Amino acid sequence: MESGGREASTWREGRSGMIDSYERVTGRVPFATNVEVQGMLHAVLLRSQIAHGRITRIDVSRAKEVPGVHTILTGADIVVRGAFKARFGPVFRDQPILAIDKVRFVGEPVVAVAAEDRDIAVTALALIDVEYEELPAVFTPEEAMANGAPILHEERPELGATFADILINRSGDPNTCNTFKVRRGDIESGFAQSDHIFEDVFTSPSVQHVPLETHCCIASVERSRIVITTGTQIPYMVRGQIAEIFGLPASAVQVIAPPLGGAYGSKCYPSIEPIAAALSYFSGRPVRLQNARDEEFVTITKHGVKIYMKTGVRSDGRILARKVLALFNTGAYADIGPRLIKNGGYGTNGPVSIPHVWIDSHAVYTNVTPAGAFRGYGISQAAWAYDSQIDMIAHRLEMDPYELRMKNLLVDGEPFCTGELMHDVHFRELLTTARDRIGWDWSAAPERVGQKVRAKGMSCIIKSTVTPSTSTASVKLNDDGSLHILTSSIELGQGVHTLLVNLASDQLQIPVGRISVARVDTDVTPYDQQTSSSRSSWSMGHALTAAISDVKEQLLSRAAELSDEEASQLEIRNGHVSVIGAPEQGLSYQEVVRRTRAGNIVGRGFSQTQGGLDPESGQGVASVHWHQAAGAAEVEVDLETGHVKVVKYHAGVYAGRVVNQVHGELQTEGNLAMGLGQALWEELLYDNGQLQNGSLADYMIASFDDMPDEVDLNILESGRPDAELHGIGETSLPAVMPAIANAVFRATGVRITDLPLTAEKVLRGLKALEAEGGAKNGDLTTPDGASTDGQKHVVGSVT
Amino acid sequence: MEGEVGTNVVGEALEVSFVLNGRATTVRARTHHTLVDVLRDQEHLYGVREGCGVGMCGACTVLVDGEPQSGCLILAVSAEGREITTVEGLEDASGELSDIQDAFVRHTAFQCSYCTSGFLLATKRLLEEIPDASPHEVKTYLAGNLCRCGSYMKILAAVTDLLERRRTVALAPTKEDA
Ligand code: FES
Ligand code: FES
Repeated sequence: MESGGREASTWREGRSGMIDSYERVTGRVPFATNVEVQGMLHAVLLRSQIAHGRITRIDVSRAKEVPGVHTILTGADIVVRGAFKARFGPVFRDQPILAIDKVRFVGEPVVAVAAEDRDIAVTALALIDVEYEELPAVFTPEEAMANGAPILHEERPELGATFADILINRSGDPNTCNTFKVRRGDIESGFAQSDHIFEDVFTSPSVQHVPLETHCCIASVERSRIVITTGTQIPYMVRGQIAEIFGLPASAVQVIAPPLGGAYGSKCYPSIEPIAAALSYFSGRPVRLQNARDEEFVTITKHGVKIYMKTGVRSDGRILARKVLALFNTGAYADIGPRLIKNGGYGTNGPVSIPHVWIDSHAVYTNVTPAGAFRGYGISQAAWAYDSQIDMIAHRLEMDPYELRMKNLLVDGEPFCTGELMHDVHFRELLTTARDRIGWDWSAAPERVGQKVRAKGMSCIIKSTVTPSTSTASVKLNDDGSLHILTSSIELGQGVHTLLVNLASDQLQIPVGRISVARVDTDVTPYDQQTSSSRSSWSMGHALTAAISDVKEQLLSRAAELSDEEASQLEIRNGHVSVIGAPEQGLSYQEVVRRTRAGNIVGRGFSQTQGGLDPESGQGVASVHWHQAAGAAEVEVDLETGHVKVVKYHAGVYAGRVVNQVHGELQTEGNLAMGLGQALWEELLYDNGQLQNGSLADYMIASFDDMPDEVDLNILESGRPDAELHGIGETSLPAVMPAIANAVFRATGVRITDLPLTAEKVLRGLKALEAEGGAKNGDLTTPDGASTDGQKHVVGSVT
Repeated sequence: MEGEVGTNVVGEALEVSFVLNGRATTVRARTHHTLVDVLRDQEHLYGVREGCGVGMCGACTVLVDGEPQSGCLILAVSAEGREITTVEGLEDASGELSDIQDAFVRHTAFQCSYCTSGFLLATKRLLEEIPDASPHEVKTYLAGNLCRCGSYMKILAAVTDLLERRRTVALAPTKEDA
């Protein structure tokens, strides 16, 4: 054996923030938008301009005449001529590839044109005539659930194969897509034991993800083989759906998934892929389809929601009971809404211990853009309600909101509303650090300078990660000792590939420069459930670790063939196989692979979590572990204009163990940027179902100027070397909006319960307070000047 | 693009010549094609990216005669005779990263990096225009470039670091002095 004595940890040298930093600063990241396939056609879509209506006539005759137009497709063509399924969806197969008979939202694809170039396709599109018979439409869950409301889907959508954690509960109401319930304790006795009962209503609007790279895919459909390159977070979902549509085995469908130019949940489930595939099927040519920015706004959104929250509290501040009705606006098609209302449902419990809980959470069909996964996944909406409310309750009880939260925060061993016991929770630590770092002092009056007033607010939130779930990974140790990682986790800027390379580097003790991540391709890279839910670090991290252990075991037994020692006498040390106790004696991986003529050593890894909830009571295991965050904001409110500026923000998040510090920081700062927009101005504005601000000229996202001058992070680790990895891609986001709103309240006395906190709403609230002669302790003022207590609605009251 | 096929419907393609990353270049563009269109479709410079198409996001930033401009708002035909620099032109001939790119790498001033080309090019001009920029000036100068991933704090750190290094280099004695 050759001498293998080396300095420990040399393999760590040369690590940088991201393994493909060079590509990232030279414009060379191979996004889906860059892909060109020989012979490809360019497609554009004619989208519905009405919210709800029957298609009475489509005339494509003039468009067909345009030279260079290849294929024009309608929903009817697909039904009549396509020997394949016309509808898709990750849970319910309710979304037509192109509208069939009816349109259900403004922006729904109706006709698709594929031509030799984009200009030709656009020219032809303008020559297509579509006539509709308009139908009455509904835009909010309450309208949709009212008696006699127009029905979106006359026939019950077909339920297809879907994720293991999804619960289906279709009530009698035809526009209710799915319902999730939690029943814990005895809600009535909970309220009976309470000294105070607070009923409040919170709304948060639909917003858009605005990934700078819009959806783009290139589909090539041949008789028995389909290849799709697409910007997706879930290539295996695209594969499954395309295989189902075309009636092909999964093995006949290849999905290539390049890195994404941003996603934030928007690229989870198929949207334009089935259209491109259908065009390719009929044209016999590869077809490229990319959303323009205005189309991105009508492809998928975050759920708007109205949450009725009734909370019973003992006079000492302990929360005893909570009853919730959450109405999630899921838009015209279900997408992943049926699952999101589960997370957004139990999520309304918040990070507090409540003995008696009753939650009804509905996904409701309406005539607006389908809503789906959005960073924070239902928890942003839930946290907006519960964390605003706990702040309001503190104020009403004249308690320090920090103390009130501390009194109720979950600790290890306590049950969540799903019945599972908390473990590894650090809410108190996070909140206390937030308090200290922002310099919280409950007794301090807001600071006023001229027309500006400053104050602070805080928040604390809990988030689940999809459970049960499955990830698999393979690794290939090559005959030169270099390593390939095969994973279907998608690199969307969160640094997952870098994280996996760093984990592999540590475990095999080889430098990152000798490790490559294969391009994600369902023909090659093994199954992963989804790159979402902040699960990849944990779930794919485990699968990779298992794959590497497999390689290590094989290395040891291969090395044993070359030496006099048993495999059990050998170990991996400093990137070599050596005899235990004799670290200077080592065989390089290269020698082991070459001399045993192994070719390569392939390791396989599998990771699966267990859990799930009872469909009637919502009891069981919702999350393998819990994501935790606290936020603290200092705001400056201009009393003349109502404008809110966040001057300082502290983000605290529990990471378990940090693998890549800079990525942890980037994700947390990114959540702040996204949360700022959602707190202060982001909102999709509809007028009768017509989106009013579907362009970046009208829909603002946070810019450099909006970032607070001071940003302070607390990425908390457990300190144990074996601590679980907690994904933090989303965790700190839901905390941002309530922290800012709570600070605005302390600064001004204006309590806003409907996001976003626009200058106009703040100003209206200030005017209302003035009219009442200033904020009195215990008063709560909404922008309309009404008390937020006891709002009632036919559909909505929780009482 | 196969211009021939649709020429009679969508308009004639014209020849446009400009200097692209230091190299004389001629493309064929229809009158409505933007600089982003031709740089991507014909020159295959995928570092030039469209985010909004309306001049709001800066993802398409290119330098036109040294000034950062939104490529999505510039008609390709109007680029005649101009000097265009894209992110692909930031490296030197041997493929060495520029100090700007290097600073972005050292600070990991990106996540998905779709916005990065735009930030790099805007920063190039910022360094020339305001060599002593304060953090506030950096933020204001770069406010026309949006990063939805919210990598702003790291971009600020990278640019601050660059400003400092360039100042140190400017002050340092040259080799001849030594
Ligand atoms: S694409 Fe040009 S500014 Fe957004
Ligand atoms: S890094 Fe993703 S948009 Fe800037």
